[in-house]
Amino acid sequence: MTPRVGKYVAFGRVGASQALGNRAELGGRMAFVAIILGVFSSLWQAVAEHGLPIAADRAALVWYLAATEWIVLTVPAAHVDIEREIRTGDVTCHLTRPFSYPLALASQGIGMIFVRAPFVGVAAFVCGVVFTGTAPSITLLARFVPFAFMAMLLVYGLHVVIGLLAFWLTDVTPVFWIAQKLLFVLGGLMLPLTLYPDWMQRLAHFTPFPAMLGGPAGLLVPATAPDTVRLARDLAVWIVVMAMAARALFERAVRTLQVSGG
Amino acid sequence: MSTWTFARALFATNLRAALALRGAFLIQALFMLINNLTFFIVWWVLLRRVPDLRGWRLDDIEVLFGITATSFGLVVAVAGGVRHLGRAIEEGELDTLLTQPKPTLLYALGMRSNASGVGDMVSGVLFLVMSGHLTLTSAPLLVVLILASAATFLGCGIVFHSLPFWLSRTETVSRQLWELTITFAIYPEPLFGGALRLLLFTAIPAGFVAYLPARMLRDPSPVTLAASVGAALAYVAIAVWVFDRGVRRYTSGSRFVAFG
Amino acid sequence: MSTAPAIRLQELTRTFRVAPTTVVRAVDRLTLSVVPGERVAFIGPNGAGKSTTLKVLSGILHPDSGEATVLGYVPWRDRRRLAFEIGTVFGQRSQLWYHLPPRATFALLAHVYEVDPSVHRRRLASLVEAFDLGACLDTPVRQLSLGQRMRAEIVASLLHAPRVLFLDEPTIGLDVSAKATIRGLLRAQSQDGHATLLLTSHDTGDIEHVCERVVILHQGRVLWDGSIDGLRRRFMKTKRLTLWSEAERLTLDLPGARVLAARPHVTEIALDPRKTAVGALVDAACRQGLLHDLTIEDTPLDEVIRDIYGEAAGHGS
Repeated sequence: MTPRVGKYVAFGRVGASQALGNRAELGGRMAFVAIILGVFSSLWQAVAEHGLPIAADRAALVWYLAATEWIVLTVPAAHVDIEREIRTGDVTCHLTRPFSYPLALASQGIGMIFVRAPFVGVAAFVCGVVFTGTAPSITLLARFVPFAFMAMLLVYGLHVVIGLLAFWLTDVTPVFWIAQKLLFVLGGLMLPLTLYPDWMQRLAHFTPFPAMLGGPAGLLVPATAPDTVRLARDLAVWIVVMAMAARALFERAVRTLQVSGG
Repeated sequence: MSTWTFARALFATNLRAALALRGAFLIQALFMLINNLTFFIVWWVLLRRVPDLRGWRLDDIEVLFGITATSFGLVVAVAGGVRHLGRAIEEGELDTLLTQPKPTLLYALGMRSNASGVGDMVSGVLFLVMSGHLTLTSAPLLVVLILASAATFLGCGIVFHSLPFWLSRTETVSRQLWELTITFAIYPEPLFGGALRLLLFTAIPAGFVAYLPARMLRDPSPVTLAASVGAALAYVAIAVWVFDRGVRRYTSGSRFVAFG
Repeated sequence: MSTAPAIRLQELTRTFRVAPTTVVRAVDRLTLSVVPGERVAFIGPNGAGKSTTLKVLSGILHPDSGEATVLGYVPWRDRRRLAFEIGTVFGQRSQLWYHLPPRATFALLAHVYEVDPSVHRRRLASLVEAFDLGACLDTPVRQLSLGQRMRAEIVASLLHAPRVLFLDEPTIGLDVSAKATIRGLLRAQSQDGHATLLLTSHDTGDIEHVCERVVILHQGRVLWDGSIDGLRRRFMKTKRLTLWSEAERLTLDLPGARVLAARPHVTEIALDPRKTAVGALVDAACRQGLLHDLTIEDTPLDEVIRDIYGEAAGHGS
């Protein structure tokens, strides 16, 4: 491991220990997974009472939600920390040091995800079993997990991009609200996209959101399983786009700082 | 009466502070409005495919969202300090308020305001309009229901955010309890039964914040109305009592405070 | 003017449990009295009990035992009524609304302290003039410099003409000229308005320029209570001399004389005048060649105080 790679591994470790240290946050997310799966288990039960085809496989729909919530709840709210670093000017300290801020953010994020994913994942899995009495097969899970991690990276990338907007916007939180709601709606957080009107599905596929949630989660639901090759391609493309956006934003910000002095 | 004059002056100052950054105010309000409307799309999609959820149709869910958003927005806009209460306790910010001759809780609540609350309120009214339940005849009733809902929200918010008087580093837990109340408040009541329903009418009062007012519009009854208003008064009274006990503990120094 | 003390502490004790098995006495049987109109400085290292005492006196902390009265009120019992008569400035906390101009905070405080509008207007005008806030009165606080903010904070605490003013580190973080301005204003306000001032600080400049009396606290107890001159006379043991000489090096091997620093032609000496008179030292230097310049100073106040702590620590308190 070269020193160059080593420093980013170190950032990863920092992210991991931050996540481990914040037990209240971790516990809260695990509790939330449990609660939301319980609520939706009840909701799909209520829907099933109508005997309509959409809720034919209630268990599958609950596992779908377990999958999307695992992705959403594992990814840390990076935009908050980034915004604070930019707001307080701490970020300028980073600029004088020999590392790439965007890469450091990425490494830190990966570290945090690696710690949070098992905790939230176990909670989601246990609740899935409790509320449905079934569990997806090992093969399905084995296929799902790598895609889920890629999706988490993509969602994290989105948070980073939003955070970096703090160089220009006084407050990025409102932007985050909208982006998150678009993710929930167009990514199919609670309902698989196949249940949406056609025009909404077509619209959604122009955005990265389906690749973030519905795509990977669909792997756990045999009926709506997407084409894995296509999904992998979409995830890869969007991750590259997000990374390029982050890098471009950061470089633009640095240039602005250098010119106008912050 | 001087407390009332003070409350008015405090509210006016708070409003002025919120409006001081005009652009930020508008963006926060507008984006929260869009946020709420966007989130609702999922319900719209679901309830086009399914006639109802145990009797609750789309307009009933709109009522639920409407009441919750409006009352929550009211709390955030007028008594926004409730969300900051935990931090104020943990970091000793109450000291400045305690040395001034006005009620500490009122002062702490009225010191902050968030423009997002205005967005919430506007979205809430829009949901109520969409539901068809907002009419000239129902408006007075809705005002009462929303005020009662907001008072309950505020009351339980004060209790949650007063935990730091007794336990250290509970800021996250306070926030999570508060958000849990909101989470439950936007799902139809018939989804919950048994022990959970008991919880939702006591410790996490989504029942009084959202379900009772919504029930009141679907199926008006003086009992429901009385229960909503009664609960609001009870939660506020409990909140004031809890905070007062908390201040006693704070001033007795039993919490570990940094000294020097 | 009444001769009853404005502030009276009698055997005041306050402890804190900082760990499951560790209890610290922040204030230990503190006894002292402050006369109306007096300006007292409380100094001491962190943990000495300064802020704790201030909190007890302003009513936001109960003592474990002992008595205290401020203007005749028992602070923790009559907090509300006392609040009308006291003003507080916590150096690291602000009571100014950040996004609004100071004027808005002042207006709200007029309601808080139930000040009659015409009285408020008059008092505000005179304070604004005294503290030179005319230009900043309508500028949002976030756009003000630290010095302007501090002046506004102090005006805020004086608007209701309090009889006692508690200040906790009021000049912290300010630059030299801002500190000087604030100190002058505090002194003047106290003298004009006959307000009693109780100030805690780490900065000895605050003590020297604002207060007449200094109370040194150490581990919750009073180490010294008296005037600043008295402090110097009692504890001053050394004079500091700097000699600029023709000779490159001076040899001054006299009892009580210690060379602090020596550069070519410049020598700094700490001298105990009881062992060798100042004149004797200067004579000895002159005999080694022409003296171009000479400065004689008292030991700086912080050193005096540090010596006092050193002594106290040495006695194993």
